[in-house]
Amino acid sequence: MKTLLNISLLTLFTTLFYWYVGQMVPQKETYPPEDVAIGADMTPDELAGVGEEIVAGKGACFSCHTIGSPGARAPDLAGIGARAGNQKEGMSDVEYIAESLFDPGIYVVEGYNPIMTPADKPPISLTQEEILAVIAYLQSLGGVAMVTTTTSLPYTSTVAASGSSAATAEAGGPSALDELPGEELFSAHGCMACHNVSEPIKMVGPSLYDIGARMTRGEIYASIIEPDLEVAEGFPGQVMALTLQGTGFNEKVSPVQLHKLVDYLAGKTGN
Amino acid sequence: MLAICSLSTARSPRKGSRWWRGGPLERAKVFLSFGRHRRLSRSRQRGILVILAAAFAAAVFASPLLADVESAVATEYRAFPYINSRVAIWMVGELHLMYAAFVLAVPMFALIIEFIGYKTGDKRYDRLAYEFTSLLSVSFSFTATLGAILTFMLMILYPRFTAYLISIFDKTFWPYGLLFFAEAGFLYGYYYGWGKMSPRLHLFLGVCLNLVGTAIMFIANAWLSFMSSPAGIDESGSLISTWQAVNNYTWMPINIHRMIANVCFGGAIAAAYAAFKFLGAKTDEQRAHYDWMGFVGNFIAISALLPLPFAGYWLASEIYAFRAQMGMTLMGGAFSWLFIIQAVLIGMLFLGANYYLWLGMERIEGAERYKKFVKYLLASITICFIVWATPHSLVATIEEARLMGGAHHPVLGVLGVMSAKNTAVNIMILTTYISFLLYRRGNKEPTVSWAKYGHAAQFLIFVAVIGFVIFIGIYGYFVEAQVRIGLSVPQVLSVLICMIVVTIIDIFLFRKARLIGEIRWGQIPARAQYMLFFLGVTFTWLMALMGYVRSGLRLHWHVYEVMKDTSPDAYTPTLGFASTIVSIIVIIFFVFIVFNFWLTGLKERPAWKPKTVLPDETGEPEPGT
Repeated sequence: MKTLLNISLLTLFTTLFYWYVGQMVPQKETYPPEDVAIGADMTPDELAGVGEEIVAGKGACFSCHTIGSPGARAPDLAGIGARAGNQKEGMSDVEYIAESLFDPGIYVVEGYNPIMTPADKPPISLTQEEILAVIAYLQSLGGVAMVTTTTSLPYTSTVAASGSSAATAEAGGPSALDELPGEELFSAHGCMACHNVSEPIKMVGPSLYDIGARMTRGEIYASIIEPDLEVAEGFPGQVMALTLQGTGFNEKVSPVQLHKLVDYLAGKTGN
Repeated sequence: MLAICSLSTARSPRKGSRWWRGGPLERAKVFLSFGRHRRLSRSRQRGILVILAAAFAAAVFASPLLADVESAVATEYRAFPYINSRVAIWMVGELHLMYAAFVLAVPMFALIIEFIGYKTGDKRYDRLAYEFTSLLSVSFSFTATLGAILTFMLMILYPRFTAYLISIFDKTFWPYGLLFFAEAGFLYGYYYGWGKMSPRLHLFLGVCLNLVGTAIMFIANAWLSFMSSPAGIDESGSLISTWQAVNNYTWMPINIHRMIANVCFGGAIAAAYAAFKFLGAKTDEQRAHYDWMGFVGNFIAISALLPLPFAGYWLASEIYAFRAQMGMTLMGGAFSWLFIIQAVLIGMLFLGANYYLWLGMERIEGAERYKKFVKYLLASITICFIVWATPHSLVATIEEARLMGGAHHPVLGVLGVMSAKNTAVNIMILTTYISFLLYRRGNKEPTVSWAKYGHAAQFLIFVAVIGFVIFIGIYGYFVEAQVRIGLSVPQVLSVLICMIVVTIIDIFLFRKARLIGEIRWGQIPARAQYMLFFLGVTFTWLMALMGYVRSGLRLHWHVYEVMKDTSPDAYTPTLGFASTIVSIIVIIFFVFIVFNFWLTGLKERPAWKPKTVLPDETGEPEPGT
């Protein structure tokens, strides 16, 4: 018995030690890339601003490229706007950058391996408008952004504007609810049946009119995904979890909708 | 989706793909029973048959059922109560993998040990091999049960994803199911047939068991490696070639990596069992036996651990070859800090394994000659451990980062790069190998005439290789990234060649060696046995962590680039959360495995006898209680 106790304690403390190491490293959640809103009447500079977001986010360009610090796996992009027009004879800067994005294997900068996947194919899957925005941003790096959403390219993205490819659509694709703002999603999912968001009035669930002041975005997210993790004082546990289960919320809600709901609720600060 | 799960471009084999890739009633009663434990064995076997039938039915008949279900219910995900679906699948899947690893690995070294016993005529080996095999019986039923639960959970919680995988791999389910039955037959034949058939026939059963087990693992690996590096499908994700889907980019690297890792894990758990038995042993004979068993188990685990990083390099390079972005996610993106946790775990493994060897030298008469070297070996491993666990970028406040001039520490930052880490791990491997060499020659004196030159040759090889490894490590700081990555190959090869050549010299050097003392098996401090258990826990934690990263690197894809995870769990959780789940899995596994150890030990208990009581008034004895 003593041996069993010693071994149990050894197992427990060893596990706790490694668990502690796991808590000590930087903690970061990685969310699926979100689509960026691109207006048809955006100026080249506005489009370049959106392109910068895509390059740093959905495009995952900085996994391999750098700006201003050469030596990474892929060419440094500093000054690309100035030199793109001179890279291949008879090709404009827009055509060269478009070719590099749609068919990166055609021309590989000397000293680098052909590791890039087409930007309009998975896992990146940029839409035509998003690629135009990226081109505008790259033009602005050492040059002037000239591209707009109406600029014609020698390539066409196979990704629909919603960001879904044929295969991902087969896997379910985005729901029509994805297009609704957070406030309408709150109603569409029936949250208002139990929660008041405009006044501090208790219903089946606590009022959420000041939830943004009481909880962080992460806590709001956690309380939707795992409602019983921390139940508000004076309210019974399991009610929300069972309700969500009964209404099929967990099956229906998409990450996009969840983000919008969290954004909406985080904005409820009681003012 | 992490544990199972997350399709677009045509996936025919790429240019440059390698050639292998392309892609009677009484007898029966005796057989089905074992000595005095017939009742237990029968009930256990009934349970096993039920489990086998359930697993087989799930695997083979799931396809058409799911096709119907799919057409009737367009449900993508279902929620698991209390904990979400991802965590539930993650835990059950990992527990199944751990048991499967153990059940596949133990027959490998049990067979080798039995063969040594057969060739040498030494009964100790035969008993040791049998002891290892006795652990399999209960573990096999746990593996099958967890596998069946995992299958049902996949069908219920992730119906569309499961239906898709079935549409790709339905042809593999038939051989998988049949092989599973064959494995059950060979395993129980191998265990219950011990000493009841000719040694050659028994060894043949062992070979069949290993071949079938390996084939099962290869098939299952095709499913999971397809999720990371899909092949053999068209733009819409529809199947073009089952063989290409099986023979995808990461299939063979994962097969090899898992086979080595399984042996490593199996050896560690078997050693933990021996330690458990040693600590509860009542006689010197038992202590001597379990001390030896623990040593052999640990020797197997560490021997397999040494080449494991090389198999890991291959797997990582194939991931990069498939999609560089996925490689970047693995090593330089979301999971880069996970490898700091891994470094701590492997560092603890090397420290623990060496400590066990040094303690083991205390039971060898004559090994005290080498005690003076231990402090240098300890220093070497500690320094290498520190270097390996040094992160490239530090967690710092804005003020601290400003003082450092960025996230990279001016001194420590130099140690956090690949050149330094590769150098550290290679020297750590060599140091552990030196510890083993000292242990091996503890009670021996060479008698060959060229002994002096043999020692000198070994010493010079070590000096040359360590010098070369350090030189390559420093050289890596002065070359481009592409060249630097390639430098790991000569480092690894030089260490491998060093170990092979030095071992060959050592075998001839100590042939017909003079024994200057005995190995006093059983006379080892209890802390050495706790160290074996510590190593078992560490191996388990490491296995669960690496299972997480292998699955997690797909990020928000069930099948990378093919089927997106559109569930609320599509995000990749923090490493802290992953560590919590991994810790829970490890604790559950050890609760299960200690229960398995207890069940296995029941066969050594004396038969139950009813209490003898005085006759009652009618003259009939009362039944026992």
